[in-house]
Amino acid sequence: MKNITKLILILTIALLLVSCSGNTTSQSGDEIRLILGAYTTPREAYGQIIPLFQDYWLSETGQRVSFEESYLGSGAQSRAVVDGFEADIVALSLEADVTRIQDSGLITHDWKAGETEGIVTTSVVSFAVREGNPLNIQDWDDLAQPGVEVVTPNPKMSGGAMWNILAMYGAALRGRVDGVPGDDPVAAEVFLRKVLSNVAVMDKAARDSILTYEKGIGDLAITYENEVLVGRQSGQKYERVIPTSTILIENPIAIVDANVDKHGTREVAEAFLDFVFTVQAQEIFAQHGLRVVNQQAAEASKGLYPDIPDLFTVDYFGGWEVIMDDIFGEEGVYTQAILQVQRGE
Amino acid sequence: MDQGKKGFGAWLLILLVVLYMGFLIVAPIVSLIQGAFQEGLSPVFRSLSSAALFQALALSLKIALGVVLIQLIFGTMLAWVIVRQDFWGKSLLNGLLDIPFAISPVVVGYMLLLLFGRNGILFPLLERFGIRIAFAVPGMFIATLFVSLPFMIREMIPVIENLDRQQEYAATTLGANQWAIFWRIIFPQIRTALVYGMTLTLARALGEFGAVLVIGGGVQGRTETTTLFIFRSLDERRFTEAYTASILLGAFSVTIVYLADAIKRRQKKKEEIKDLQASLSFKS
Amino acid sequence: MHESLILEKRRTQKAEWVLRLPSILYISLMILIPLIVIVQDGFREGISELIHQIRLPIAKHAIVLTLWTSALMTVINAVMGLITAYVFVRFEFPGKRLLNAIVDLPLAIPTLVTGVMLVMLYGPQQTLGRFLSETLGIGVIFAPPGIVIALLFISFPFVVRSIQPVLQDLDQTQERAAATLGASSWQTFWRVVFPALVLPMLNGSLLSFSRAVGEFGSVVVVAGNIPLRTQTAAVYTLGAVESQNRLGASAVSVLLISISFFVLIITNAIQKKMGAK
Repeated sequence: MKNITKLILILTIALLLVSCSGNTTSQSGDEIRLILGAYTTPREAYGQIIPLFQDYWLSETGQRVSFEESYLGSGAQSRAVVDGFEADIVALSLEADVTRIQDSGLITHDWKAGETEGIVTTSVVSFAVREGNPLNIQDWDDLAQPGVEVVTPNPKMSGGAMWNILAMYGAALRGRVDGVPGDDPVAAEVFLRKVLSNVAVMDKAARDSILTYEKGIGDLAITYENEVLVGRQSGQKYERVIPTSTILIENPIAIVDANVDKHGTREVAEAFLDFVFTVQAQEIFAQHGLRVVNQQAAEASKGLYPDIPDLFTVDYFGGWEVIMDDIFGEEGVYTQAILQVQRGE
Repeated sequence: MDQGKKGFGAWLLILLVVLYMGFLIVAPIVSLIQGAFQEGLSPVFRSLSSAALFQALALSLKIALGVVLIQLIFGTMLAWVIVRQDFWGKSLLNGLLDIPFAISPVVVGYMLLLLFGRNGILFPLLERFGIRIAFAVPGMFIATLFVSLPFMIREMIPVIENLDRQQEYAATTLGANQWAIFWRIIFPQIRTALVYGMTLTLARALGEFGAVLVIGGGVQGRTETTTLFIFRSLDERRFTEAYTASILLGAFSVTIVYLADAIKRRQKKKEEIKDLQASLSFKS
Repeated sequence: MHESLILEKRRTQKAEWVLRLPSILYISLMILIPLIVIVQDGFREGISELIHQIRLPIAKHAIVLTLWTSALMTVINAVMGLITAYVFVRFEFPGKRLLNAIVDLPLAIPTLVTGVMLVMLYGPQQTLGRFLSETLGIGVIFAPPGIVIALLFISFPFVVRSIQPVLQDLDQTQERAAATLGASSWQTFWRVVFPALVLPMLNGSLLSFSRAVGEFGSVVVVAGNIPLRTQTAAVYTLGAVESQNRLGASAVSVLLISISFFVLIITNAIQKKMGAK
């Protein structure tokens, strides 16, 4: 008995010492480490792009670049970087999440200066419906019907969810929702409330939301087109329905100056940033359900990504600053709407 | 033991308990195992050979073992001080010990973020020395240390209270130094409790989730523990991997707790026999 | 004689600090400082702002949901824990050893795993889940019942293990006396046995309550996290942290900590009373 106890103690110390070894990575001449902080959606795409870049960089410079990747909800990732997660590159779901990092002083260059204004991929808000579309969901007005169960993520916790709300509210304001007069904020809010009252579950991130849908909750999921396509690629049987009017989700990518300068990784980070805009990388994005900004790749994938009759962007609302206040602020349209909805039940 | 007539009422109660525990505890566990093997054995084996899982297990173990070591030393020390010493603020100390048990892990992570995050109070100081705590393993280590604090101490206090002080006095008078007294008199009496405390701490540390989620950052291969791995695998629709990892984690924790429990029970039996012998020999 | 005693006392006191100082430092660093930091952050903009944050509808609902599900769970757990402890101590039946061992399982299983298991069992695509929701119209997953079940799972050992040792050591002469005097087993239980178990039952119940209020790992997987419907305080706090609603996170955290403190004080008092007996 006594021996067993001693043995356990010794084992503990031994294991600890053993496992303490080998945790530091060298930033020597032929090895460099790049840290990527991204949102959840492009996880699979980056999984393929990164090895390609590693090969490319090795052949170009003889340097081995290893990647540390973190995929969280866009907002969560953004605040993680602000709080100290030393990502060299951030690839997030919406501009506001990058702006937050910029406002904290970590990004000091004009990341929107490029040709695509810092946007690497796009997607659109669309629906995932059950196989065969039994409820014949075609457009936004179908979501406001009584008895239809909807899943969408929580805007307070997820960038993806904000897109969803903006899409439905915007479509209503633009008069593209049956039964809702255009340019009528009151009517649009009523419509918003109707849809919100049909929401069964509000997960904390876009990926969680579609996973909930896959578990059988809800008749349809409001989500990125990308999530629907990636889900189908992994064997899910739901179908994509794109409303006639929807918002263009623009996903930014940016170098975090403070971190690349601290790590000495600016050169390779900029190379990676250039790489994700190449046809090769963009085609991979396209294969993983994302619409791309590169013309050539976009042409090649036209079949997968139909044109949208009425496509609008955040500019329709006046930009993210206006949106964060007027729609998602404490007195914002959404905040008031969800409160009323839940209170009314 | 009331061996009297076991009437209908008794059997009803027994049935109730069996059904309750069956539904509440056993059924979910069976579901998990069933779910993991839903698509056969090979997906499970493939999951077991996943590099990410291995890294996550290694990190979980590394953090947990380190935590156990620290709690072993400081926990025992604290228990000793609380039992044997008297000083102003002792009851405050005693009261604080149970706090980690009742605080939500999310709050724990958040508290540490307030301390060690980029906008945190201690950040400037640590930056100067290049020490990374938030979104790195040290932060996760501290978080795990916090949540597992009470286990060792609460195990040790009753045992130290019951120590046979006569032996200690005798040894002192015979000239033994502190160290010898500890090893040869105190340690044998507390070692079962030590093992049990270590086991509970280990199980708790391995299962920590909420706090490391907030302070960790989830970088696969670097700051991803087994729990975070499970969480991520669910997100990536890698269900078999998630379930396999869950079973691994659960089975390991359960096994060590039962082993420790067995040791405790054996110790108890030994003591009962000793007491019996003592009372018998006294009589004769 | 007197002098050497004083010197001895001083030497012991100095020696005591060898252990006492690190201990105090350890607790201060590990527990006190983080607590102070968050309380200070919660009160950063004054107590009225803190109260305002807690009274925001989504926060308030989360807190209320947390409290009532934890309370409901505590009541069920207390009753079932009492019955379970009684059954284990007073009856013999096949499989008792195994069952007794199973009681401790929830302590060993990580809470996240608990959540995963419960979704597996009660999810709408599983047989049981489908039966419950389609036939009986009861939603377990992503609804409050799911939260209560998760809490029941993780708290199960507390009441049982609080009562068991006390019941075990209970002197049964009074019970036998009551039986001889003609009392039914029911009466005997209520008037002789139960009073002795009240304190341990309360102790275990309070422990499970305070544990439940902060529970995260199982609830976040099981509950669905719909604000104003199935979002508990812990999950709300996570959301607040992730959306940089610092004040909201700190405010709710301070409230949760206060509740824990309060419950702990009561538990401590009970334990002292139990120890005195």
